[in-house]
Amino acid sequence: MNEQTIKLGSVRHKKARLGKKIGKGGFYLLVLITILCGALSTYILLIGGKNFAALLLAPALLSFMLAAWWKRDLSVLAPSKKSITDRLSYDVLSNLPISVKDNKQLFQALSNDWQSNFMLGHLTITDEAVLSAIDDSPEAFTKTWLTASQIADQNQSDAIEVGFIIASILMQSSAVKEMVVKSGNKAEDIKDIANWLARSLEAKKNDKKYYGGIGRDWANGWTPLLNRLGQNISLSIEKYGANYGWLTDSEGVKAVEAAFDNNAKAVALIGPDGIGKSSSVKALAQKLIEGKSTPNLAYHQIVGISAMDITSNAQQPGQLEALIVNLINEASKAGHIMLFIDDAQTFFSDQPGAIDASQILLKVIQSGQVPIILAMSDSDFQRLRTKSQNLSNLITPVKLQELDQAGVMRVLEDIALGTEINKKILITFSAIRAIYQLSDRFNQDMSNPGKAIKLLGESVPHVQNSVMTRETIEKTIEQISGVKVSKAAPEESSALLKMEEAIHKRMINQSHAVSVVSNALRRSRAGVSNPSKPIGSFLFLGPTGVGKTELAKSIAAIYFGDESAMIRLDMSEYQQPDDVKRLLATGENESSSLLLNIRKKPYTVVLLDEIEKAHPNILNLLLQLLDEGQLTDESGKAASFKDSIIITTSNAGAQEIRERIEKGENIEDFANQFTDNLINAGSFKPELLNRFDEIVLFRPLNPEELKQVVGLMLEEVNKTLADKNIKISLTDEAINKIVAEGNDPRLGARPMRRALQRAVENSVAQKILSGAIKEGDSVTLDVADLSSE
Amino acid sequence: MLISSFFIWWYGDGWKQVIKSIGNRTVAISDSFSVSTLLRTWFAPWKRIISYSGDSFDDKIKASLDNLFSRAVGFVVRSLVLFAALVTIIFVAVLSLIEIIVWPLLPALVPISIILGIIL
Repeated sequence: MNEQTIKLGSVRHKKARLGKKIGKGGFYLLVLITILCGALSTYILLIGGKNFAALLLAPALLSFMLAAWWKRDLSVLAPSKKSITDRLSYDVLSNLPISVKDNKQLFQALSNDWQSNFMLGHLTITDEAVLSAIDDSPEAFTKTWLTASQIADQNQSDAIEVGFIIASILMQSSAVKEMVVKSGNKAEDIKDIANWLARSLEAKKNDKKYYGGIGRDWANGWTPLLNRLGQNISLSIEKYGANYGWLTDSEGVKAVEAAFDNNAKAVALIGPDGIGKSSSVKALAQKLIEGKSTPNLAYHQIVGISAMDITSNAQQPGQLEALIVNLINEASKAGHIMLFIDDAQTFFSDQPGAIDASQILLKVIQSGQVPIILAMSDSDFQRLRTKSQNLSNLITPVKLQELDQAGVMRVLEDIALGTEINKKILITFSAIRAIYQLSDRFNQDMSNPGKAIKLLGESVPHVQNSVMTRETIEKTIEQISGVKVSKAAPEESSALLKMEEAIHKRMINQSHAVSVVSNALRRSRAGVSNPSKPIGSFLFLGPTGVGKTELAKSIAAIYFGDESAMIRLDMSEYQQPDDVKRLLATGENESSSLLLNIRKKPYTVVLLDEIEKAHPNILNLLLQLLDEGQLTDESGKAASFKDSIIITTSNAGAQEIRERIEKGENIEDFANQFTDNLINAGSFKPELLNRFDEIVLFRPLNPEELKQVVGLMLEEVNKTLADKNIKISLTDEAINKIVAEGNDPRLGARPMRRALQRAVENSVAQKILSGAIKEGDSVTLDVADLSSE
Repeated sequence: MLISSFFIWWYGDGWKQVIKSIGNRTVAISDSFSVSTLLRTWFAPWKRIISYSGDSFDDKIKASLDNLFSRAVGFVVRSLVLFAALVTIIFVAVLSLIEIIVWPLLPALVPISIILGIIL
């Protein structure tokens, strides 16, 4: 034992050990003895047995004094900051033996405490594993006490708790830290979990709530209509409890409180979905109902009203306005009500499911009858400004800011703790961090902490063996949104490794292009590339009909498992400056909006054909997309492209490629020079070309390759005929004829399909109808058999 | 050692806690009975039931009487609750006072009761 750091065997230590020995069971026994002996003594005294009564009084008094000592001193042991020993909590001291020489013994003494389980459970490491890796040197032992004391200081905790010491023991050993990292955590997580524990211990201390007593509402009016049509958030909190402690002191809640304290008539909480507008209102409701607000607002109750509830209760058209007026009058007369209108835009709109109550609300807010809190997005508030300047001028706007990582993690930790208790599961710390990290991939429409909280909730049903891990979160995201976030499974890894082979089953040659794209995609899936950019971004350059689109389709089929996982836009339709708006439109039926399509289908190939024809403003947008992996709409809401593969195609320089290939040059040898030529010719800006992962050159197909293309197309025809059990093959001469008819140096292999259709499909159709080909036949077609029409 | 620490606590922090508890208990009772709210709204109309006067003299008199009645109901109910709170606070305070006085005597009562048991 290091005398400078901890002094075991002190009176405080002995008291703690005695306290543990007595325990709760002993305390109740002492109380029972007190009651029984006291009662018996009184009874005996009444029937005249003075001496027995006096004798029985002694154990009654003794057990009372012991019980009082245990309850008020032994089991509490208030810490003091005189020394580290005096600062140790009751839980620490009561578990420590008289002598502890090193960290190993210290860990063994404390490892049965719930706080130890809290630390190790959330780190997903076991007692046994830790014990084998603990640093049991005297230096580490000394450092353990100092670090534990620092953790207590940082968390403004009077006592050094068991969890702080466990965290400190883990932090002293590099072997333990390695173990922590191997189980999917970061070494810093040890301290973060200790901080989490400190917060939950602090919350436990302050869980005694006071809601104003029996006479709180006697000076307030009745609200029968509001009780029926509204949702009293404050009374729900009083009845069922709530913990919005993390929000009650937030800037947003303070701003609303200050605004009403300064006689604001209405406050609008402004921010995107998930940023915490409703939660801020609930936090305010909790603060008010607990009387922790200013005297003006203390014990006010917040009642939420929704357009849907009101409209569904209005039987006739004229009743709607009357109902709103009655609700507001009732709230006003009651004197203790604050109205909360969530999705406030539904009260200012004439769209289906909404009502236009702007005139009524204008009068109500002008009169200041009742405080009103509105929640809406920034764009809805702007719309309200345009629609009714008078109304918007009366509303005090409070813009909510998205929480930073530390803030979101705190919220998640608090909610995780509640979920663990309610669902009887363990949520590992790596799972909580994964929720934060991956919530973007799960939901692009919401802000944090809303989307992270939602992901946590959605992950609960996927929990296995009562433990929520990072894998649970990844599985949830993959099942709900289809986005691949987990490590590639063996089958998928194998498919990725054999990607070139799979692509070549669908397209002929272009080995260089296929290899470049496959390598880029493998880098991304292995997690080697930048996760804040699209999975891959490519510029496909080459003549028409050489397989650019086919390669894009192959990627969609192989990487996303579905050839239709593709958003395809012809950029020749976006040549005007105003077309940027069309590309970023957010209306419901904007099929030409890239933003809308990517929000619907984030896991996809985005194919932008003929990119060189797009307006320069659109190319500037493309720069942003490739750089940041996202585009932003008018309202400032981002749409992520981080789960998509961006493929742009262009015919620019096609003639040069053709000429060089015809001269016998190798495509790999002139690729760089070709790119320079494109920049010099002004076809593309260098900053755009530099942002693509790869610029892929496609070369024209030679006659031999065109024959193979015919072979692939014939396979497709045979697939169609497979139902009829008919198989078609072509003689070499027939293939040559189709190639000769379908080959156009300007259009590549594109006319080939038409040639095959004309020559083979027409001929086969005629033969089937005439009965020349029957089910089960295998037919070889020669030049003479090919239809010429 | 532990026995001496018991006596140190009993006549030190333990006794202080008993004294402090009078204040804590009074605050808790006052909170449960909403004493501060009731005092603030002692003469307020019961559940805000108020009549709004019309233009005529009769209407004004009628509304005033209604409001007076509502305030009277509020006053009576609140007064009863405040009285109950006062009685409870006094009762608990007396008990606490007895506790404060008896507390230091308890350790001495143990040997005294044994001796009394033997000699009586």
